[in-house]
Amino acid sequence: MALNLFSMPALPRTNSGAARLFPLMTTILAALVTIVPLQIPGYAALTPAFLLMAAYHWTIYRPDLLPPFALFAVGTAEDLLTGGPIGVSALMLLLVRVGVLQYRRYFVNRGFAFVWAGFTLLTWGALVAAWALHCLLAMTVLGFRATLFRIVLTVAIFPLASFLLGRGQRALIGAG
Amino acid sequence: MIRVSAQLRNTIQRTTLPLLVLVSASTVLLGKADEMMLDSVRTTVTDGFAPALDIASRPLVAAGNLIDRVRGAINLYQDNRRLEQDNERLMQWQQSALKLAADNKQLRGLLKAVPEPNVAYVTARVIANSGGAYVRTVMVNAGSEDNLSRGQAAIGGDGLVGRLTEVGARAARVLLITDLNSRVPVTVENSHRNAVLAGDNSERPRLAYVGSPENLKIGDRVVTSGEGGVFPPGLPVGVIASLDGGGARVEPYVELSQLSYLLIVNYGLAGGLPQPVPIAPHSGRRPKAAPPPDETSVR
Repeated sequence: MALNLFSMPALPRTNSGAARLFPLMTTILAALVTIVPLQIPGYAALTPAFLLMAAYHWTIYRPDLLPPFALFAVGTAEDLLTGGPIGVSALMLLLVRVGVLQYRRYFVNRGFAFVWAGFTLLTWGALVAAWALHCLLAMTVLGFRATLFRIVLTVAIFPLASFLLGRGQRALIGAG
Repeated sequence: MIRVSAQLRNTIQRTTLPLLVLVSASTVLLGKADEMMLDSVRTTVTDGFAPALDIASRPLVAAGNLIDRVRGAINLYQDNRRLEQDNERLMQWQQSALKLAADNKQLRGLLKAVPEPNVAYVTARVIANSGGAYVRTVMVNAGSEDNLSRGQAAIGGDGLVGRLTEVGARAARVLLITDLNSRVPVTVENSHRNAVLAGDNSERPRLAYVGSPENLKIGDRVVTSGEGGVFPPGLPVGVIASLDGGGARVEPYVELSQLSYLLIVNYGLAGGLPQPVPIAPHSGRRPKAAPPPDETSVR
């Protein structure tokens, strides 16, 4: 019963090999966009959580093409490269998958507003939890203001990310 | 036969996710318990990704340069006026600096003072930043192959940026002075008061152990004190930007969120940081010969 939480629904198989890599590639791209040094004041501290967007989108529409191991690998690489505590991003992405898979059936055929609302809730939950975990690891109360800005930015940019991912998905691999 | 393998696949599929959740949770705990152990893994991975990040960050630098050029062309007239005024002022400074340098040399000769060590510079480009994580670090595209080592100071255009905490063969990580874990021994110039500049992840690090703050003024220059032997004395760090309830905050001279090139400086002091556990055996590359001191190499 408990394991049902983690089970994956059957999805249509796609034939093209390269297209099947699209979800993984976009997730890696999201990780890359997060760490490249854009010359924008304050960007490093307020970078939107692009990985969260990719993980959410693909877990709803094509969880078969972004398996847990891919989330784990990308999350761990991200932690190693940003210099943050190792395992935190991987843990966050995997828990997002656990959470989203549970409610996936409500999201698949709904309008964008519904999906966006779901993402807003998820972003709040994930980033506040990450903030709390970092506070615990650093044994101090870290300022919450930057996290608040990150949540707002992440939610605000999601429609654009979702549009681009959806376009690519329809062109290459078809809808889930 | 087919049924067994399908069942096995199903079991694997079901257990991967909870297993990986467990693995990442334990990694978090392990990393907290023994930071040194995962450090070598981090250095290896960082080194492996450095060429890719190097390439990925190039167009951004180019775009930044282009924007600067356009902006420069628009402000040509005002910039020119300002630079002419600056030039006039700096010429006067140059005269007094030359005179002081001559005096200094003569007095050092009289005192038989030990000569200052030669300083070697390496210019490195920032190829990654901390991307929203709760750390303030940047990665640069130079490493032990360029004679960088742990503890060396990183300077931006106008002042101290941080120090190297992790050095791989081709890439190194700079802990910025704003990071939660950064502690830099400093002196407040006007009052000659020693303090520790303590980062707290905010843009303006705090002056800790400053004693009574009544002699501090907003606008006082803060420079490294050289205590502890990690940084040389006298490197500019920033100015006091705010005083509140017995605490002072320092605005760094360098805009730390927009770093593109850093100067990594070897003062021959880099004994201030403990070495991490030995890393995996050398990859077989021969280390390059050390460049002569006082020579600037650019990557």
